[in-house]
Amino acid sequence: MTSYAGIDIGSTMTKVVILKDGVIASIIGPTGPEQRRLANRVMEEALKKVALPFSDITYIISTGYGRINVPFSDRQFTEITCHAKGIAYLFPEARTIIDIGGQDVKGIKTDGTGKILDFVMNDKCAAGSGRFIEVIADTLGVPLGEVGELSLQSQNPAKISNICTIWAQQEVAASLAEGISIPDLLAGVHLSLADRICRMVNRLRVEKAVVVTGGGGKNKGLLRALSELLGQEILVPEEPLITGALGAALLGEEIVEKARQNHTPLETKERMLEEIEVL
Amino acid sequence: MAEERKETKPKKRMTATRAAASIGPMVKEFITGTLQARAEGRQKLAYTFIVCHHEEIFRAMDVLPIWTENFAGICGAKRDAERFLQRAESLGLSRSLCTYALCGIGFDQWREELGEMPPDAPWGGQARPDFMISSGQILCDPRSKWYQASQQFMPDVPIYNIDLPYPLFEKDQDHREVRGYYHRYIVQQLRGLVAFLEEQTRKKMDYDRLEELVDLSDRTWNLIDETYRLRSAIPCPMGTGDAMNTMVPICFMMATQKAYDFFVDLKKELEEKIAKGEGEVEKEKYRLMWGGGLPAWYALNDFNYFNSKGASFPAETTYRMIASLHEMDLPETKDPIEHLAWRWLGYWTFWYDRARKRPGSEPDVERLINWIEEYKIDGIVMHEAFSCRTWHVGLIWQLHQLAKIYKPIPVYVIGKDGMKEKVYRELPSLILESDIIDITSYSEMDTRNKIDAFIETLESNRLNKAA
Repeated sequence: MTSYAGIDIGSTMTKVVILKDGVIASIIGPTGPEQRRLANRVMEEALKKVALPFSDITYIISTGYGRINVPFSDRQFTEITCHAKGIAYLFPEARTIIDIGGQDVKGIKTDGTGKILDFVMNDKCAAGSGRFIEVIADTLGVPLGEVGELSLQSQNPAKISNICTIWAQQEVAASLAEGISIPDLLAGVHLSLADRICRMVNRLRVEKAVVVTGGGGKNKGLLRALSELLGQEILVPEEPLITGALGAALLGEEIVEKARQNHTPLETKERMLEEIEVL
Repeated sequence: MAEERKETKPKKRMTATRAAASIGPMVKEFITGTLQARAEGRQKLAYTFIVCHHEEIFRAMDVLPIWTENFAGICGAKRDAERFLQRAESLGLSRSLCTYALCGIGFDQWREELGEMPPDAPWGGQARPDFMISSGQILCDPRSKWYQASQQFMPDVPIYNIDLPYPLFEKDQDHREVRGYYHRYIVQQLRGLVAFLEEQTRKKMDYDRLEELVDLSDRTWNLIDETYRLRSAIPCPMGTGDAMNTMVPICFMMATQKAYDFFVDLKKELEEKIAKGEGEVEKEKYRLMWGGGLPAWYALNDFNYFNSKGASFPAETTYRMIASLHEMDLPETKDPIEHLAWRWLGYWTFWYDRARKRPGSEPDVERLINWIEEYKIDGIVMHEAFSCRTWHVGLIWQLHQLAKIYKPIPVYVIGKDGMKEKVYRELPSLILESDIIDITSYSEMDTRNKIDAFIETLESNRLNKAA
C-alpha cells in the first residue's frame, strides 16, 4: 500500500503527517534555526511512531515558510494551498479558513473541494498573529496554554487600543498597574487581536462555514472573540496545528493518483534522511 | 550616521526587450542634462509632476522639466531612498505621507543645507530648480503640498500651481453636460502657466512651435497605443516589468523626437518578436494584468520571479495611454492650448460612457474588464503602496466588483451561435503590499510566498479548465 507524507515547517512549529489509507501519524515539534536538520528529526519520529521505513513513503510534499529547506521533499506547495486542501478533507462545508500562525495570519476563501478562490495574508508585522498573544502572556506572567480559558472568566473586557505588539504590551502593563484584572485584560487582548484579524479577512467577504486553524485555534478566548465579531460559529479541527501538513500529504496522494491514472511518469527525488551539516 | 548608510544594490532585472534595456542610460542622460544646464545656466529648470499634459508648454518655452517623482523613484530603485526619507522624518514629517514627496523634501533640505549635492547622490542628484510648477489634482494632495514644503529650504524659488480638475463619474449624468465648463477652466489654468513661464524666462511663447510639439506628442501618443496593443499577442512579447522601463519616454519625454523614435524602435522590435513567436517568457502559462497601483521600484525583480513561474504581464493600468486619440471623442480645435485641455479631459473621462452602460461598473473597473478581455487575462495583480492614497484607494473595491463578473463558478453565457454556453470566467487576484520607495515596508520572502500561492491558484484553475 502506498503512503504519503506532508511536512509543514512553520515559523514556530514543524509538523509532519503520514497518510496510509487515512492519517496514521502526526508529529509536532518546535522549529529552530536548524530547519533542515529538524525536518529530518521530526520525520524520523513520525516514521518511528508507525514503524514505517522511510523508503515506503511514495511521495513527500513540504509546505510552510521553511518548505524549501526540506531536502527530501518531492515537491513544495505554499501553506495556503495545503491548508485549503487539509480543511476541505476535514470540513467539506468550509468556505472561509483563518489560519492563525505563530508569526502571521492568513485568510483563505475556498469552494469546499480544496480549491482556493482568494486569500489574504498579514506579514511583516507580529500584530494580529500568535506572537501578539505570546508577548502579552509573557507580560502578564500567564502560561500560554492558560490564556484562552482565563480570558473566558472576564466580566468586563478591557479596551486595548494599540494594535502594535510592543505598544499593546506597554498598554497592558500600565492597565495591570491600574488594577484591571488579568482575565479582563486577556479578553481585551483577544478582542483587539480578533478585530485586527476580522478587518483583514473581511476583505474576502467571509462566508459560512468558518474554520480556524493554526495555533490560534487552540485559544478558546480568541475563538470566542472571533465568533462574536464575525457573527459566525467557528469550527476548529481536533488538532488545528496539523492541517497544513495534512493538506500537503493529501496533495501528494492526489499527484500520485493523477500520474497513475494518466500513465505519466512521477518525478520524485532520490532521498535519504541523513543528518545535514548546518553551518 | 544613518543617513550616510546606503543600502545594498538590487540585482539587475532581466528585460525581455532591447528597448527596455536601453532606458537606464536614457534616464541618466536627462538627469545629467539638468545638472549640466544648472551649471551652465543656459536654460531655466522647473520642478514638476508627470501626467499633467503640460510638457509641450515647457519644451516650447525651452524650460527643462525636473521630474521630482522620477528622481524619488530612482532613489527607490537604487535602494538609496532611506537616508532621504529619514531626513524628512527628522523634519517632523510622518512616514505615512507620500514617500515620493518625503524623499524629495529630504533631498532638497540636505542639498540646500550643504550648498551642494548630498554625498553620493543617485546619478549626480537632483538639480536646484528656478521655479516649481505644482498641480492641484483631484485626490493627490502632495502635488500641491510637496513644493510648499520644499520651498521652506528654497524661499527664493517661486511656485506656480495649475489646477487640473476633471468631472467626476456620475452614473446618471453625461459628463459632456459639464465638460465645457471644465475645459474653459483648464484652458485658463494652462494660459496662466504660459504667462508665468514667459515672465520667468523673459521670452514670449512661440505658438507655432507649441503647435508642432503638440502634434509630435499626439503622434507619439497614438504610436504608444499601437505599440502597447501589440502586447495582446500570444505569447506576449513584452510584459509589465519592461513597461516599468518604457514608461520613461511616456511620462518624462513626451513632446520630444527621442520619445517618438523610441516607440518606432520598440514597435518594430515587438513586431519582430511576434513574427518569431518569442514571448516575454519561454513557455507562457498564465497571462496577468498589473491591475492597479504604482510598483515597488526597489523590487522590480519580482516581475522576473513571476516570469520564472511562466507568468507574463501583457497589460497594466499604470503608466500608459488609455486609447488612441481618434477613439477619445476630442472636440476639434486649432488652438494647441485648447487641444491640451481637451486631451486631458478625454484621458480622464474615456471609460465613463462604457461604465454607465454596465450596471455596477465604474470607470476604473470598466478599464479592467475591457483589458481583461482584450489581452486574454487569467489573473490580476495589484500593489497597495501604503504611502500613496491617490492610486491605491479603491483597489479592493474594484476587485470585489470584478468578482461579480468573473465568478469563481462556471457561468452560462450566450455564445456566438445564440446558444447557451457553460464557461469558466473566474479570475483570481493578488494584492501585494509594500510601498513605492520605502523598502522597510517590503519583505521579499513574504511577497514571493504570496506570489507562489497565487501561481498555485492559477495552476489549479488551468488544470480545472483543461479537465
